[in-house]
Amino acid sequence: MMTVERANRLARVGQVITMVALAGLVGVYVRALEYTPVERMQGLAQKIFYLHVPAAWATFLAFGIAGFLSVLYLWLKDRRIDLVAEASAEVGVALSIILLTTGPIWGKPIWGTWWTWDARLTSTLFLFLLFVGYLLLRGAVTDPVQRARFSAVIGVMGLALIPFIHMTVYLFRTLHPDPIILKPSAPSLPGAMLVTLLASFGVFTLLYAGLVTQRYALGALRELRLEREAHAAG
Amino acid sequence: MPPDNGAFMVAAYVVTAAVVLGYVVSLALRLRDERRRARN
Repeated sequence: MMTVERANRLARVGQVITMVALAGLVGVYVRALEYTPVERMQGLAQKIFYLHVPAAWATFLAFGIAGFLSVLYLWLKDRRIDLVAEASAEVGVALSIILLTTGPIWGKPIWGTWWTWDARLTSTLFLFLLFVGYLLLRGAVTDPVQRARFSAVIGVMGLALIPFIHMTVYLFRTLHPDPIILKPSAPSLPGAMLVTLLASFGVFTLLYAGLVTQRYALGALRELRLEREAHAAG
Repeated sequence: MPPDNGAFMVAAYVVTAAVVLGYVVSLALRLRDERRRARN
Protein backbone atom coordinates (compact mmCIF):
# COMPACT_ATOMS: atom_id res chain seq x y z
CA MET A 1 0.00 0.00 0.00
CA MET A 2 1.41 3.41 -1.02
CA THR A 3 1.43 6.19 1.58
CA VAL A 4 2.26 9.89 1.27
CA GLU A 5 5.53 9.32 3.18
CA ARG A 6 6.51 6.46 0.90
CA ALA A 7 5.69 8.47 -2.24
CA ASN A 8 7.74 11.41 -0.93
CA ARG A 9 10.68 9.10 -0.22
CA LEU A 10 10.40 7.65 -3.73
CA ALA A 11 10.34 11.17 -5.22
CA ARG A 12 13.56 12.02 -3.34
CA VAL A 13 15.25 8.83 -4.60
CA GLY A 14 14.17 9.76 -8.14
CA GLN A 15 15.56 13.28 -7.74
CA VAL A 16 18.94 11.93 -6.60
CA ILE A 17 19.12 9.49 -9.55
CA THR A 18 18.14 12.32 -11.93
CA MET A 19 20.85 14.63 -10.52
CA VAL A 20 23.48 11.90 -10.97
CA ALA A 21 22.23 11.35 -14.53
CA LEU A 22 22.39 15.11 -15.28
CA ALA A 23 26.00 15.19 -14.04
CA GLY A 24 26.65 12.18 -16.29
CA LEU A 25 25.05 14.03 -19.22
CA VAL A 26 27.46 16.95 -18.69
CA GLY A 27 30.28 14.37 -18.76
CA VAL A 28 28.96 12.91 -22.03
CA TYR A 29 28.80 16.43 -23.56
CA VAL A 30 32.43 17.13 -22.57
CA ARG A 31 33.66 13.73 -23.77
CA ALA A 32 31.71 13.85 -27.05
CA LEU A 33 32.61 17.45 -27.93
CA GLU A 34 36.22 17.58 -26.68
CA TYR A 35 37.69 14.09 -26.51
CA THR A 36 36.00 12.09 -29.27
CA PRO A 37 37.52 12.33 -32.78
CA VAL A 38 35.69 14.11 -35.61
CA GLU A 39 34.43 11.70 -38.25
CA ARG A 40 36.17 12.42 -41.60
CA MET A 41 33.19 12.18 -43.98
CA GLN A 42 30.38 13.73 -41.87
CA GLY A 43 32.37 16.28 -39.86
CA LEU A 44 31.09 17.71 -36.57
CA ALA A 45 27.45 16.86 -37.35
CA GLN A 46 28.30 13.18 -36.75
CA LYS A 47 28.62 13.99 -33.03
CA ILE A 48 24.81 14.31 -32.93
CA PHE A 49 24.98 10.52 -33.03
CA TYR A 50 26.04 10.44 -29.31
CA LEU A 51 22.69 11.97 -28.33
CA HIS A 52 20.37 10.73 -31.07
CA VAL A 53 21.10 6.99 -30.74
CA PRO A 54 20.95 6.84 -26.89
CA ALA A 55 17.77 8.96 -27.00
CA ALA A 56 16.32 6.38 -29.40
CA TRP A 57 17.32 3.57 -27.03
CA ALA A 58 15.78 5.32 -24.01
CA THR A 59 12.61 6.17 -25.98
CA PHE A 60 12.05 2.57 -27.03
CA LEU A 61 12.92 1.37 -23.52
CA ALA A 62 10.33 3.77 -22.05
CA PHE A 63 7.59 2.92 -24.55
CA GLY A 64 8.47 -0.80 -24.38
CA ILE A 65 8.13 -0.81 -20.58
CA ALA A 66 4.89 1.21 -20.80
CA GLY A 67 3.55 -1.34 -23.30
CA PHE A 68 4.69 -4.37 -21.29
CA LEU A 69 3.13 -2.93 -18.12
CA SER A 70 -0.08 -2.28 -20.06
CA VAL A 71 -0.27 -6.00 -20.88
CA LEU A 72 0.42 -6.76 -17.22
CA TYR A 73 -2.27 -4.30 -16.08
CA LEU A 74 -4.92 -5.87 -18.33
CA TRP A 75 -4.05 -9.20 -16.71
CA LEU A 76 -3.57 -8.26 -13.03
CA LYS A 77 -5.65 -5.02 -12.77
CA ASP A 78 -3.20 -3.53 -10.26
CA ARG A 79 -3.40 0.32 -10.04
CA ARG A 80 0.32 0.62 -9.27
CA ILE A 81 1.19 -1.06 -12.58
CA ASP A 82 -1.01 1.46 -14.39
CA LEU A 83 0.77 4.35 -12.63
CA VAL A 84 4.24 3.09 -13.60
CA ALA A 85 3.05 2.60 -17.20
CA GLU A 86 1.78 6.19 -17.22
CA ALA A 87 5.09 7.44 -15.83
CA SER A 88 7.08 5.50 -18.43
CA ALA A 89 4.85 6.74 -21.27
CA GLU A 90 5.25 10.41 -20.25
CA VAL A 91 9.04 10.11 -19.92
CA GLY A 92 9.06 8.30 -23.28
CA VAL A 93 7.25 11.21 -24.93
CA ALA A 94 9.84 13.66 -23.51
CA LEU A 95 12.72 11.47 -24.73
CA SER A 96 11.15 10.99 -28.16
CA ILE A 97 11.06 14.78 -28.60
CA ILE A 98 14.89 14.61 -28.37
CA LEU A 99 14.91 11.70 -30.83
CA LEU A 100 12.60 13.43 -33.32
CA THR A 101 14.43 16.78 -33.20
CA THR A 102 18.07 15.60 -33.23
CA GLY A 103 17.27 13.24 -36.16
CA PRO A 104 16.24 15.97 -38.61
CA ILE A 105 19.03 18.29 -37.36
CA TRP A 106 21.50 15.50 -38.23
CA GLY A 107 19.67 14.56 -41.44
CA LYS A 108 19.78 18.03 -43.00
CA PRO A 109 23.59 18.30 -43.44
CA ILE A 110 24.08 14.56 -44.19
CA TRP A 111 21.03 13.60 -46.31
CA GLY A 112 20.28 17.11 -47.59
CA THR A 113 16.75 17.08 -46.13
CA TRP A 114 15.19 17.62 -42.69
CA TRP A 115 12.65 14.84 -43.10
CA THR A 116 11.66 12.04 -45.42
CA TRP A 117 8.49 9.94 -45.18
CA ASP A 118 10.29 6.62 -45.17
CA ALA A 119 9.30 3.62 -43.03
CA ARG A 120 11.71 4.21 -40.08
CA LEU A 121 10.99 7.91 -39.61
CA THR A 122 7.25 7.66 -40.25
CA SER A 123 6.71 4.70 -37.90
CA THR A 124 8.74 6.42 -35.14
CA LEU A 125 6.62 9.56 -35.55
CA PHE A 126 3.50 7.38 -35.41
CA LEU A 127 4.71 5.75 -32.16
CA PHE A 128 5.27 9.23 -30.67
CA LEU A 129 1.77 10.35 -31.68
CA LEU A 130 0.28 7.14 -30.31
CA PHE A 131 1.74 7.83 -26.85
CA VAL A 132 0.75 11.52 -27.02
CA GLY A 133 -2.76 10.14 -27.61
CA TYR A 134 -2.26 7.81 -24.63
CA LEU A 135 -1.52 10.80 -22.36
CA LEU A 136 -4.37 12.90 -23.79
CA LEU A 137 -6.80 10.02 -23.23
CA ARG A 138 -5.66 9.73 -19.61
CA GLY A 139 -6.36 13.42 -19.14
CA ALA A 140 -9.84 13.10 -20.64
CA VAL A 141 -11.20 10.04 -18.78
CA THR A 142 -12.10 10.71 -15.14
CA ASP A 143 -12.98 7.20 -13.97
CA PRO A 144 -9.64 5.63 -12.87
CA VAL A 145 -10.56 2.04 -13.80
CA GLN A 146 -11.78 3.00 -17.29
CA ARG A 147 -8.80 5.32 -17.77
CA ALA A 148 -6.36 2.54 -16.91
CA ARG A 149 -8.09 -0.01 -19.16
CA PHE A 150 -8.46 2.26 -22.21
CA SER A 151 -4.90 3.57 -22.02
CA ALA A 152 -3.52 0.05 -21.49
CA VAL A 153 -5.02 -0.94 -24.86
CA ILE A 154 -3.12 1.93 -26.53
CA GLY A 155 0.03 0.89 -24.63
CA VAL A 156 -0.24 -2.65 -26.03
CA MET A 157 -0.56 -1.23 -29.57
CA GLY A 158 2.62 0.80 -28.98
CA LEU A 159 4.45 -2.31 -27.76
CA ALA A 160 3.50 -4.16 -30.95
CA LEU A 161 4.97 -1.32 -33.06
CA ILE A 162 8.45 -1.36 -31.47
CA PRO A 163 9.91 -4.53 -33.07
CA PHE A 164 8.43 -3.41 -36.40
CA ILE A 165 10.24 -0.05 -36.13
CA HIS A 166 13.54 -1.84 -35.37
CA MET A 167 13.11 -4.04 -38.47
CA THR A 168 12.10 -1.24 -40.88
CA VAL A 169 15.70 -0.65 -42.01
CA TYR A 170 15.88 -4.30 -43.15
CA LEU A 171 12.35 -4.58 -44.56
CA PHE A 172 12.13 -1.32 -46.54
CA ARG A 173 14.35 0.93 -48.65
CA THR A 174 15.18 3.78 -46.29
CA LEU A 175 17.68 6.62 -45.92
CA HIS A 176 18.13 5.70 -42.26
CA PRO A 177 21.36 3.71 -41.56
CA ASP A 178 21.29 0.13 -40.23
CA PRO A 179 21.83 -0.46 -36.46
CA ILE A 180 25.48 -0.36 -35.40
CA ILE A 181 25.05 -1.75 -31.86
CA LEU A 182 21.81 -3.78 -31.75
CA LYS A 183 22.76 -6.21 -34.53
CA PRO A 184 23.96 -9.84 -34.68
CA SER A 185 27.66 -8.99 -35.43
CA ALA A 186 30.10 -6.89 -33.33
CA PRO A 187 29.57 -3.07 -33.14
CA SER A 188 31.15 -1.34 -36.18
CA LEU A 189 32.65 1.72 -34.49
CA PRO A 190 36.20 2.84 -33.54
CA GLY A 191 37.08 2.41 -29.84
CA ALA A 192 36.96 6.08 -28.72
CA MET A 193 33.58 6.61 -30.41
CA LEU A 194 32.19 3.38 -28.97
CA VAL A 195 33.20 4.37 -25.40
CA THR A 196 31.42 7.75 -25.76
CA LEU A 197 28.34 6.08 -27.21
CA LEU A 198 28.19 3.44 -24.44
CA ALA A 199 28.65 6.13 -21.76
CA SER A 200 25.75 8.04 -23.29
CA PHE A 201 23.63 4.89 -23.34
CA GLY A 202 24.30 4.49 -19.60
CA VAL A 203 23.46 8.13 -18.84
CA PHE A 204 20.20 8.08 -20.81
CA THR A 205 19.17 4.83 -19.10
CA LEU A 206 19.91 6.36 -15.69
CA LEU A 207 18.04 9.52 -16.66
CA TYR A 208 15.04 7.41 -17.65
CA ALA A 209 15.15 5.58 -14.29
CA GLY A 210 15.33 8.84 -12.30
CA LEU A 211 12.54 10.55 -14.25
CA VAL A 212 10.21 7.53 -14.12
CA THR A 213 10.72 7.17 -10.36
CA GLN A 214 9.81 10.85 -9.85
CA ARG A 215 6.85 10.68 -12.22
CA TYR A 216 5.53 7.55 -10.52
CA ALA A 217 5.80 9.28 -7.12
CA LEU A 218 3.90 12.26 -8.56
CA GLY A 219 1.14 9.97 -9.88
CA ALA A 220 0.90 8.18 -6.54
CA LEU A 221 0.69 11.46 -4.57
CA ARG A 222 -2.04 12.71 -6.93
CA GLU A 223 -3.95 9.44 -6.57
CA LEU A 224 -3.75 9.60 -2.76
CA ARG A 225 -4.98 13.21 -2.75
CA LEU A 226 -7.95 12.38 -5.02
CA GLU A 227 -8.84 9.44 -2.74
CA ARG A 228 -8.69 11.74 0.32
CA GLU A 229 -10.85 14.37 -1.42
CA ALA A 230 -13.42 11.75 -2.51
CA HIS A 231 -13.50 10.35 1.03
CA ALA A 232 -13.98 13.83 2.53
CA ALA A 233 -16.79 14.61 0.06
CA GLY A 234 -18.68 11.64 1.33
CA MET B 1 38.87 18.01 -44.96
CA PRO B 2 35.61 17.34 -43.01
CA PRO B 3 32.54 19.43 -44.00
CA ASP B 4 31.82 22.62 -42.05
CA ASN B 5 28.54 21.74 -40.28
CA GLY B 6 29.30 22.49 -36.61
CA ALA B 7 26.18 24.69 -36.27
CA PHE B 8 23.94 21.61 -36.66
CA MET B 9 25.87 19.84 -33.90
CA VAL B 10 25.52 22.84 -31.58
CA ALA B 11 21.77 23.05 -32.33
CA ALA B 12 21.25 19.36 -31.49
CA TYR B 13 23.18 19.62 -28.21
CA VAL B 14 21.29 22.78 -27.19
CA VAL B 15 17.89 21.25 -28.05
CA THR B 16 18.68 18.09 -26.05
CA ALA B 17 19.78 20.10 -23.00
CA ALA B 18 16.65 22.29 -23.26
CA VAL B 19 14.26 19.32 -23.48
CA VAL B 20 15.94 17.43 -20.60
CA LEU B 21 16.14 20.46 -18.31
CA GLY B 22 12.62 21.57 -19.25
CA TYR B 23 11.17 18.19 -18.32
CA VAL B 24 13.23 17.92 -15.10
CA VAL B 25 12.01 21.38 -13.98
CA SER B 26 8.40 20.58 -14.96
CA LEU B 27 8.50 17.39 -12.86
CA ALA B 28 10.09 19.20 -9.90
CA LEU B 29 7.41 21.93 -9.97
CA ARG B 30 4.54 19.45 -10.23
CA LEU B 31 5.99 17.38 -7.38
CA ARG B 32 6.41 20.48 -5.19
CA ASP B 33 2.81 21.47 -5.89
CA GLU B 34 1.50 17.98 -5.09
CA ARG B 35 3.56 17.76 -1.87
CA ARG B 36 2.18 21.13 -0.76
CA ARG B 37 -1.37 19.90 -1.39
CA ALA B 38 -0.61 16.70 0.55
CA ARG B 39 0.40 18.77 3.58
CA ASN B 40 -2.79 20.88 3.51
